[in-house]
Amino acid sequence: MLKGKSLLLGAGIAVAIVILIIGTMNAFNGQALSKTPDQNKAFVYRADIITFDNMEAFGKLKKTKAIFLHDQHTDALEKKNKDCLTCHMSENGRMSPKFMHLKDIGKEELTKIYCDNCTKCHAEIIAAGEKAGPVKCDDCHRERPLIKSSRVEMGFDKSLHYRHSKAQQDHCDRCHHEYDVKTQKLFYAKGKEGTCRYCHKKTTQVKETEKVISMRLASHFACIDCHQKTEAKHIDAGPVRCAGCHDATEQSKIEKIANVPRMKRGQPDNVLIKTGDEKGLIPRMMRVPFDHKAHEKYNDTCRVCHLASLESCAKCHPLTGSTDKKEITLETIFHKSGHQSSCMGCHELKQKDKSCAGCHAVMIRDRQKDSAACLRCHMVPLPERTGVLSTSKAAKMARLMPELWKETFGPIYHVKVPKTVVIKDLMDRYGPVEYPHEKVYNAMVKKIQDSKLAQYFHYSETTLCVGCHHHAPADGNPPKCSNCHGAPFDENHLNRPGIKASYHQQCMGCHQRMGVTKYLTCTSCHKERKKEAKASS
Amino acid sequence: MSISRRKFLGWVGAAGLSTAFGKSAAAATHKHFTGYPNSFAILHDITLCVGCRTCEDACNRVNDLPPPDKPFTDLSVLDSRRRTTTKAFTVVNKYENKEQPKAPVFYKKQCNHCLEPACASACFVRAFTKTSTGAVIYDSSVCVGCRYCMIACPFEIPTYEYDQALTPRIRKCTMCYPRVTKGQLPGCVEACPMEALSFGKREDMIKLARERFRRYPDRYVDHIYGEHEMGGTSWLYVSGTPFKELGMREDLGVIPAPQLTAGALSSVPVIAGLWPALLAGIYAVSKRKEKIAQKEQEQAVASALDKQGDAKTQSKEES
Repeated sequence: MLKGKSLLLGAGIAVAIVILIIGTMNAFNGQALSKTPDQNKAFVYRADIITFDNMEAFGKLKKTKAIFLHDQHTDALEKKNKDCLTCHMSENGRMSPKFMHLKDIGKEELTKIYCDNCTKCHAEIIAAGEKAGPVKCDDCHRERPLIKSSRVEMGFDKSLHYRHSKAQQDHCDRCHHEYDVKTQKLFYAKGKEGTCRYCHKKTTQVKETEKVISMRLASHFACIDCHQKTEAKHIDAGPVRCAGCHDATEQSKIEKIANVPRMKRGQPDNVLIKTGDEKGLIPRMMRVPFDHKAHEKYNDTCRVCHLASLESCAKCHPLTGSTDKKEITLETIFHKSGHQSSCMGCHELKQKDKSCAGCHAVMIRDRQKDSAACLRCHMVPLPERTGVLSTSKAAKMARLMPELWKETFGPIYHVKVPKTVVIKDLMDRYGPVEYPHEKVYNAMVKKIQDSKLAQYFHYSETTLCVGCHHHAPADGNPPKCSNCHGAPFDENHLNRPGIKASYHQQCMGCHQRMGVTKYLTCTSCHKERKKEAKASS
Repeated sequence: MSISRRKFLGWVGAAGLSTAFGKSAAAATHKHFTGYPNSFAILHDITLCVGCRTCEDACNRVNDLPPPDKPFTDLSVLDSRRRTTTKAFTVVNKYENKEQPKAPVFYKKQCNHCLEPACASACFVRAFTKTSTGAVIYDSSVCVGCRYCMIACPFEIPTYEYDQALTPRIRKCTMCYPRVTKGQLPGCVEACPMEALSFGKREDMIKLARERFRRYPDRYVDHIYGEHEMGGTSWLYVSGTPFKELGMREDLGVIPAPQLTAGALSSVPVIAGLWPALLAGIYAVSKRKEKIAQKEQEQAVASALDKQGDAKTQSKEES
C-alpha cells in the first residue's frame, strides 16, 4: 500500500511541474501583450522652460530638476518696473545668462543660490498679499510636471545674417571673433569669419589653453545683450524674450528676405575641383568645374556643405586615401549618397521631390554606370579643348566656366511622340486604355524646364524618355513593353514584373509618387467590359 | 507490479526534464523542419498594394464562395477593419501611413500556411495537412468540429461554419491547392494588377524580397515577415510601414508552434501510458492482499474447524 502512495505522489508532482511551466510561459506572453500606452494628460506647452540643472555637473541630483518659466518672470518683473539685473549679474559690461552667480562653483553652493533666492522673492511677494511662485520644495521639484517644452531650435540663416550685417553696416567684427591664446583675448581676424558653431559646440569645451563656451551660452550672451542695448537706444531690435526666438509661431514672424545678396567674404564664384595634383598623382577623371555662386543660393547657411570650416574641401579631405589616418577622401565626400553635404548625396535628395520621384524613385540605387552621366560633372575643361590655357592656370580657367556651362543648359527637346497610345493587348474584364502620351510627355518636359538642376542633368531627349522606356536604346524608337515583359514570375528574371503588372506599376506608381490622385482606380483609365457586352447583347 | 520504484522515478524525472528543456526534447522528438524543398510561397509586397480588392474578388470566384453583401468594387468596405470569415478567405485592410498620410497602406490578410502549422499540431484527427506545395489543406470528412485549430492559430485565421447545423466545416484559404497542383497560379496572385503578390519557390521569394531591399533601401523595413515567424510561413511579407502598425504580431518568436508543445506533449505518453498500469498495479496489489488475507482466513477457519472436529471425534472415541 505504501509503495502505491509514493507512486501517486511522484506522478502528481510531475503533472504539477508541467502545468507550472506551461503556465509561466503563458504569463510571459501575456505580459508582453498587456503593455498599455502612456495615458495622455492635458499638458501646457511653453517655449520658455529652463531646467535648473547646472549643478548636475558636480554629481547626481537628489530631487527632480526644477522647472522655471523665464518669460513669465520677465513679465512679472516688468510690471513692477524691475529689470533683468534683479536676477542676473553683470560682468565686463555684459549681462550673464546665469542666475545670481557668475561661475558654477559647486553643487551645494549652487543649490543654495537657487533655493534661497527663489523662495525669498516669492515669500516677499506673498507677504505683500500678491500671487507668487512656490515656496515649498516639492512645488518646484515636481515628480510629474504638467508643463512641457515646445522650444524649437533657433538658427541664423542667410536672410537673418544679411539683415544683421546691413544694420551693423558691415562691421563684421561686432560678432565674429577669434581667440588669441597668448593674450587670452578675443580679436577680430578679417577674412577668417566662420559660423559660430565651428568653435562653439553643443557643450562647453574646456581645453588646457582655452575654454570655449557652448553655442547655447554664446548665443544668449551675445544676442540678448546686443538686442537689449539696441532696444535701450530706442532702435528696432531682435527678441529678448525666450518665445521671440524659440516659439514656432513667433519664429515664423521673423522677416525673411527673398533675394539675399551674396555674403562678402571673398568666396570664389567658381571652383575647379581637382582630381589629381602636381606631385604626380595621375587623375583618372576630369576635373569638375563647380558653380559656387549658384550653390550659395540654394542653401541657407554655409554649414550645409562646409561642415567644419570655410576652407576649401581639399584642405581637410585628401585626394588619396591613407591607412593610418581616418581622413575621408575628396572622392568620397563628393559622391557619398544620402548626405546633404555631398554633391551626389544632395542631388539624390532632390530627386525625392514630388516632381522627380515619379521616375527617380524606381531607379535602382546602384551608382550609375553610364559614363555620359559622370561627364556631366567631370567635364573636359574648356581651355584643354581649345588649347588656350595650360591646366596650371586654374583660376583663369574657372573664370571661363560660365561659358562652358552655357552650352549645356536649357535642353530643347525635339522628340516626336505619338499623341495617344492605345494599350489593348491584355483586354479581359476591362477595355483598352487610351494613354495620352504627348500630354504626359509635355508635362514632364515642363517640370524639367522649371528646375535648373533638372535641366542640367536631363541633357538630352533620351534622358527624359528612359524614365519610362528603361533599358531601351535611346534612338527615339523604343521597343514595345511586351518585348521583355510577358508572363509573370519568370524564375530567371525574378525582378521583372509581368506585362500586366509592369503597366500598372509604371502608371499607378508614378501617379502615386507624383501626387496625381485622379488615375488610381480601375475605371479611371479603363472601361469595364462586362457592361458593354451586356449593353450590346 | 512490473516496474520498480526506481524505474518509475526515473521516468517521471525524464518527463520533467524534457519539459523544462524544450531543446533536448525537440532533438529527441523531431528536427526543426524548414519546409518541403522547392515548396511554393507567396510574397506580399505591401508597398505595391493599392487596395483594389481584386484579390478578394478572385478568391471568391475560384473558391465558389457566396456573393458578398457589398460588391468587390465598393472600396468603402476598406474603411472598417475586417477579418477572414467563412465566406471570405482573404480580406484587405486599410492602415494609416504615418509618413505619407495621403497614401494609406493596404495589407492583405489570409492563412499564412505555416511551415509547421499550429492548427495541424492541435488537430487530433489529422484534418490538416501541410502539403509539399506549401499549402496547409483541410479535410472536412474527418473533422469532428472541436475547433482546437481556431484556438491554436496565432494569426486567428480558421473560421467555423456556425450556421451549418449538420455539416459544419472549418473554412480558410487553401493557397489554391487544387489550382497549384494543376499548374495554375493562386486566384489572388493571378488577379493582382500590381503584382503586389508574387508566386514562386519559397527560396526564390526570399531572394526576391532581399533584392528589393537592396535596390530600394529607403522603401522597405529591412525584414521579411514570415521568413522565421512561428518557424516560417509560406506567405511572406515586405513592407515600408513597421509590421506592428499593420496589426501583424511581432511577439510570436521564431519557434514553430508544434515545437513549443512537443516537450509537454512528449511526456503525455509516459503519463498516459503509466496511469492505467499504475492503477491496475495498485488494484492488483490490493486485490492480491485481499485474496491472501481471505485465503489465510479460510485456512485459519478450516484449521480451527479441523481442530474442533478432531476434538469431537476424540471425545466420542473416548466416550
